[in-house]
Amino acid sequence: MLGLKKFLFKGSSAANLTDELRAALETWRESPAPAMDDVHFHTRYVVLDIACSGVNPATDKLLSIAASTVRQATILPEDAFFLDLAAQGGDIATTLESAAGTTVDQQLMAFLQFTAKAPIITYHVPYVGGFLQRTFKERLGIDFQPQWIDLALLLPALFDEKSDVVKPLDFWIDSFGLYAGNGRRSAMENTLMLARLFQMLLVRATGKEIDTAAQLVDESKASNLLRRNH
Amino acid sequence: MNKPEQASEKENTLPMSELEMSLRQDGRQRVAGNTLAFLKNHAPFNKMKADALQSFAEKAQITFYPAGSLIVGPDSGNVRYFYLIESGKVQARQAGEVTVTEYSILSLGAGECFPIGAVTAGRPSTNTYTAVDDVFCYQLPAEDFMALLVSSPEFNLFCTQYIASLLNQSRQQLQLQFAQRASEQQTLNSPLAGIGSRTPITVSPETTVRAALETMSKAGIGSLVIAGEDRKPVGVFTRSDLLDRVVLADLPLTAPISQAMSTTPLKLEEHATAYDAMLAMASNGIRHVLVTDAEGKLTGVVSERDLFALQRVGLRQVRQTIDSAQNIETLQQANTDIRQLAFNMLAQGVGAEQLTQFISALNDALTRRVLQLNLENHNFDGIEWCWLAFGSEGRDEQTFVTDQDNGIVFACDDTAAVDSLRQRFLTFALDVNKDLDRCGFTLCKGNIMASNPQWCLTLDEWKEQFSTWIRVPQPEALLNATIFFDFRPLFGKVELAESMRRHLLIQTQSSPMFLKAMAHNALDVEPPLGKIRDFLTDLEPGHPGKIDLKKYGSRIFVDVARIYALSTGVHNSNTVQRLRLASQRLSIRTDEINAVLEGLNFIQFLRLRHQCLDVEPGAQGDNLINPDDLNELDRRILKESFRQARKIQTRLKLDYQVN
Repeated sequence: MLGLKKFLFKGSSAANLTDELRAALETWRESPAPAMDDVHFHTRYVVLDIACSGVNPATDKLLSIAASTVRQATILPEDAFFLDLAAQGGDIATTLESAAGTTVDQQLMAFLQFTAKAPIITYHVPYVGGFLQRTFKERLGIDFQPQWIDLALLLPALFDEKSDVVKPLDFWIDSFGLYAGNGRRSAMENTLMLARLFQMLLVRATGKEIDTAAQLVDESKASNLLRRNH
Repeated sequence: MNKPEQASEKENTLPMSELEMSLRQDGRQRVAGNTLAFLKNHAPFNKMKADALQSFAEKAQITFYPAGSLIVGPDSGNVRYFYLIESGKVQARQAGEVTVTEYSILSLGAGECFPIGAVTAGRPSTNTYTAVDDVFCYQLPAEDFMALLVSSPEFNLFCTQYIASLLNQSRQQLQLQFAQRASEQQTLNSPLAGIGSRTPITVSPETTVRAALETMSKAGIGSLVIAGEDRKPVGVFTRSDLLDRVVLADLPLTAPISQAMSTTPLKLEEHATAYDAMLAMASNGIRHVLVTDAEGKLTGVVSERDLFALQRVGLRQVRQTIDSAQNIETLQQANTDIRQLAFNMLAQGVGAEQLTQFISALNDALTRRVLQLNLENHNFDGIEWCWLAFGSEGRDEQTFVTDQDNGIVFACDDTAAVDSLRQRFLTFALDVNKDLDRCGFTLCKGNIMASNPQWCLTLDEWKEQFSTWIRVPQPEALLNATIFFDFRPLFGKVELAESMRRHLLIQTQSSPMFLKAMAHNALDVEPPLGKIRDFLTDLEPGHPGKIDLKKYGSRIFVDVARIYALSTGVHNSNTVQRLRLASQRLSIRTDEINAVLEGLNFIQFLRLRHQCLDVEPGAQGDNLINPDDLNELDRRILKESFRQARKIQTRLKLDYQVN
């Protein structure tokens, strides 16, 4: 156990974590993950999108994380989360008065607590996941590998009458006729758009007897595999 | 901007959970911001204040309904959400066979809300709401919806107006019902099944002429149908046959009626129209048509007179009949016509307020005519006197079921002559009361009639009587006040009644104790709203399951209106007018008082409808309704009307400090 910890924290800022954060991280690590084999209606799905300074997860900066959830097929405003890293020169988050004086590490920890190991929906996992993985590795020294569900892959898999190849998000927004507002969307606006697409997808998935989160994750992986091999 | 030094001081002071909460709060506000962008493009939200909008946006959940799926319906139980369509089309379909509103299917689009009435009332929806295509909705939990109704006047107004428009639709629907029935009754296109005698008197062909004549004489009829045991008519015997076929033909009275009858009676089936019957009569020169069912069995007889009656009833005709009536019998018929006419007017969409006043107006004319006819036998030349109406008649609020409440005021300066003059008025009043009774205004059970010496008083005696009641507000005095203070001059010297009114208003305005006692009395009866059930229906002993709409409905409004009218010096006796005028003087908001009046009018409307539609023709109606017999919408509106009753009671309670 001790050896594992050493291995995990090696070469990261995790060594500098406060005792409190360390304890919180440990608690989170040991907390049970939610069941993946329950029906969609009973599963809490976290939907998220990020804003970055560029498109390269290896070099560009993560600016913000906007997360919402879909539970009982419903988007509940009270179960949402926003983390703003953009305004931070150093380690300090400053956008929220109530969060003033907390470190980025603490805020990232709060994000982990918010997700509570739930399956996470996003659009284009390699991109989003890449940014998050690097950030969590550098900050908290953990390998962030949640149960990803990639809408970029699942939408063409389940709505192949609209498109059977991977398309930009705007294609799906247009083709479902969603109300997209005007101009550039913020991270949260994008997240809510993804959440709506996911609500639609859940109905289609259930129709195809893809009834659980685990099956969705599998479907997401399978379509990824399929695309790589063709 | 916080500086790093400050932060490091505080670094460990904020527990993780609190930080998570604050970041969740940030997330929530951003979700709300997304919702707000939509709300700002749609009424009524674009008119709402920022904080109300914000609370809507922070509570509104987003749901998706695929095409064809049910969103909410009558079987979904009490409605838990207020829905606002973000995108897609929703179809609202009337549940059940009875349509409550003017539409049976309605399509709703982005920015439209449902089911406002149901979520307000906290009951199941009457409509079935289905997604026509893929639909996204914002759904606001019912408790947040209710809170928003309280906190946002704009939102409240929007929902109130929506429900009011439903109320309007319900009224239109009601009028349609009436129109159908009225036209059935009125026009010559109505089937014979509903016209004339439904239980014609028949005798068998073997009956002797004497027995047949005796039957006719006993029943007071001019014609007789002869039918076999299978109820198939074989002939008709009329008075004219008596002359031609019996007397002039020297037929013995012991002969069977079959030898004297006309053997080719004109028969029409039940579904033939009144017009067919009229044509048949005209072309055959006969006065009766037999009505049979499909098997040829006798079900009724239609006479020429029945067909005339179909066309007789019109406002002008009724009024002319009354004004030119030379005897009580004509007036009796006029009273029946008033009912028929009122029924037709209800059908044409005349509201309860106008209708009750209209009934009162014709009843007034009828009463005046009765008085005039009786004055031919009683001479009061040179004496100032006035016939007074009390109670509902005094308020111009008569429904179809009404009894007499009247009195006489007369001027007499010579105290010695008062009693003998009173005696003359009492004799006159007794005749009038009896005649009114014959015309359909039943005698007052409480003997509040001009023929009662208590209510046949000089001007000074009336004033003294009023003063006594006001000075000593005993229970009986208060009860009397509720009847006698709603008075109106009907015939004679109007100035006498005006003098009584001025006296009354001066007295009551200077007697806060009396008004308080009246208020106390008025609050004795509360609207029958249940805490758990919608209505309390066990308040009337002997009538379980029913609500007395007069006692627990309109009377509450009437009582409150009287007190405010007396306290603000309103001369009118009509409840609606009293409330309108008094509310101006008390600076009550117009829309508030209009809502109250809507409530009163709806209850009056239900009473009229009940008395008109729900009772057997000819039977006396009452004010007892079973709320379960109402359709869903009417029930809801009735509940709202009772709430309005409670609202003005609460106001009265506050104003007069009654606990």
